[in-house]
Amino acid sequence: MTQPSAIPVTVLTGYLGAGKTTLLNRILTEQHGKKYAVIVNEFGEIGIDNDLVVDADEEVFEMNNGCICCTVRGDLIRILANLMKRKGKFDAILIETTGLADPSPVAQTFFVDEDVRAKTRLDAIVTVVDAKHILSSLKSAKEAREQIAFADVILLNKADLADAAELDAAEAAIRHINPLAVIHRTTKSGVALDEILDRGAFDLERILAIEPNFLEGGHHHDHEEDVQSFSFETTRPMDGEALTHWLQTTLQTRGQDILRSKGIFDVKGETKRFVFQGVHMLMDGDLTSPWKPDEARRSRMVFIGRNLDQDELKRGFDSCIAA
Amino acid sequence: MNQAAPSPARFLACDAFVTAAAYAPGVAAFTLGDGTVRLVRDDAEETAIAAHDGAALCLAAWADGFVSGGDDGRLVRIGADGAMEEIFRTGGKWIEQVAASPASGALACAAGKEAIVFARPGAAPRRFTHPATVMGLAFDPKGKRIAAAHYNGVTLWWIGAENASGALLEWKGSHTAVLWHPGGEFIVTAMQENALHGWRLADKQHMRMAGYPAKVKSMTFFAKGKWLATAGAESVICWPFDGKGPMGRNAREVGPQGSICTAVAAHPARGLIASGHADGSLWLTRFEDDKAACVRAPAAAPVSALSWRPDGGRLAFGCEDGAAGVLNFEPANV
Repeated sequence: MTQPSAIPVTVLTGYLGAGKTTLLNRILTEQHGKKYAVIVNEFGEIGIDNDLVVDADEEVFEMNNGCICCTVRGDLIRILANLMKRKGKFDAILIETTGLADPSPVAQTFFVDEDVRAKTRLDAIVTVVDAKHILSSLKSAKEAREQIAFADVILLNKADLADAAELDAAEAAIRHINPLAVIHRTTKSGVALDEILDRGAFDLERILAIEPNFLEGGHHHDHEEDVQSFSFETTRPMDGEALTHWLQTTLQTRGQDILRSKGIFDVKGETKRFVFQGVHMLMDGDLTSPWKPDEARRSRMVFIGRNLDQDELKRGFDSCIAA
Repeated sequence: MNQAAPSPARFLACDAFVTAAAYAPGVAAFTLGDGTVRLVRDDAEETAIAAHDGAALCLAAWADGFVSGGDDGRLVRIGADGAMEEIFRTGGKWIEQVAASPASGALACAAGKEAIVFARPGAAPRRFTHPATVMGLAFDPKGKRIAAAHYNGVTLWWIGAENASGALLEWKGSHTAVLWHPGGEFIVTAMQENALHGWRLADKQHMRMAGYPAKVKSMTFFAKGKWLATAGAESVICWPFDGKGPMGRNAREVGPQGSICTAVAAHPARGLIASGHADGSLWLTRFEDDKAACVRAPAAAPVSALSWRPDGGRLAFGCEDGAAGVLNFEPANV
């Protein structure tokens, strides 16, 4: 979806107090020899140790493209375009969102805007959560569920303040929403930087396998949480035409409720794997690396969303299996 | 198509994104992504002025010199002689837009949701606040009103009125640039969705001009306001603005076909449109018979800035990779 030379952008989400700013400062102060531009919202409230800190307004704009859920961050389009005019001053961009922000407009900005796509690439969405409070947040706040649903990497932070049972319960609840994200249990947002930076989470070429991690047994459907995920798999090759049609219509009709989707497919007659990802109704898909001769070919797809109809999605997936 | 290489031409290698170009009497100016403003006098003398700490983002010719804004939040006046003076400073908001009125001497810049307007050189600033970030500014032909483009529309203000209240022209979506018709009758905006929107001021009739393959990043009225030339397509798209405007009428496509047009500037008098393209090429097209001549061959980076000297004798251009120059079209060279 973007140029290889594009500047990587990492998005940090999470509630106020979860440890987002601690993580940001950790990234900035570690000795890595890289220069960052940082886009924040609470400008100056918390000290950020960096030369280039940009104050953003989180202006969420609706696009007039017939897609009702297609919102973008107008301020990011403007800021990123102008940052790219600066001469060779930084290697990567970090965007900190406010605690209550829905990550969709940020992610969609990188799919929709031609200038943003030409010069930057979304590397990963990193969500920091407070291990002690995440369970109650997931029950009470839609934003908390969305931030987990969108994440590529999740820091289960302040792990030292929670006991083992609390951590396991938190992880199980997170897994129920998002089986694809990498979870790190951290204290004071301490994590190796290569676990959060340069992940290439939106880079089709780097998505080689999808291994959803559903923790069994730790979850009960006894509260009103609405965001969940489903995974479908087959070892029989898929029909390329049927698959493309199904993915398009599913996202067009259900995309408001499907937050993220990801799939790798073995398409009949193709030597390369077909990799697909979506954010709401926006999708990106391509044939990427070839299957290895001794590799077991299979197709696997994960949907993360609210109020998903598992049976309907399963029927759709199965209908794409080549005859 | 024929090749016309104007000579002498003056070329600069600036090594930073050229964000804007403008012309004042006897001198061209370029704002750059390294914060400098470069002046090129018609006698070929060059000056680099360290105007901004960061990137210089916008530029206008004003009061026999220039004014530039940057991501350091400063609005700086630069004399034709290179003298620099800060005239305004925000609390950190970037200054991304600047507009000046040759008719009234008024000046305006945008910083966040505010338009900051100076009725004349030396006047105290007035602040006009909008519901969203101001992404474009344009004065009316007399320099007494200003249009500010933002999310969901354009707000028009009388800059001298006491207790000014803005008049909103509403249209859903993000408006990223604005022009005021030289006859005062129309307002046109560029939008996020590869389209233009317009309003006929007499009756607020909407005008939709869509179908561009790319965002429209540059547009200009020409032929005394009878036509609007626009970037954003593989040729220069021109909409008729005589009479009732472009509604129900076809646009004319002129100029080279191929690389997306990224900048347009109309010759002040002679019915010529200069167009810069994504492949770095620069063309002059005679609108009347659509005869186009390449005046700069394709190069490394898209053309990002274009400006004619007010008499049309010279054309200043700049590119994303810092290539810039002034082409001489004075009669002795054509």
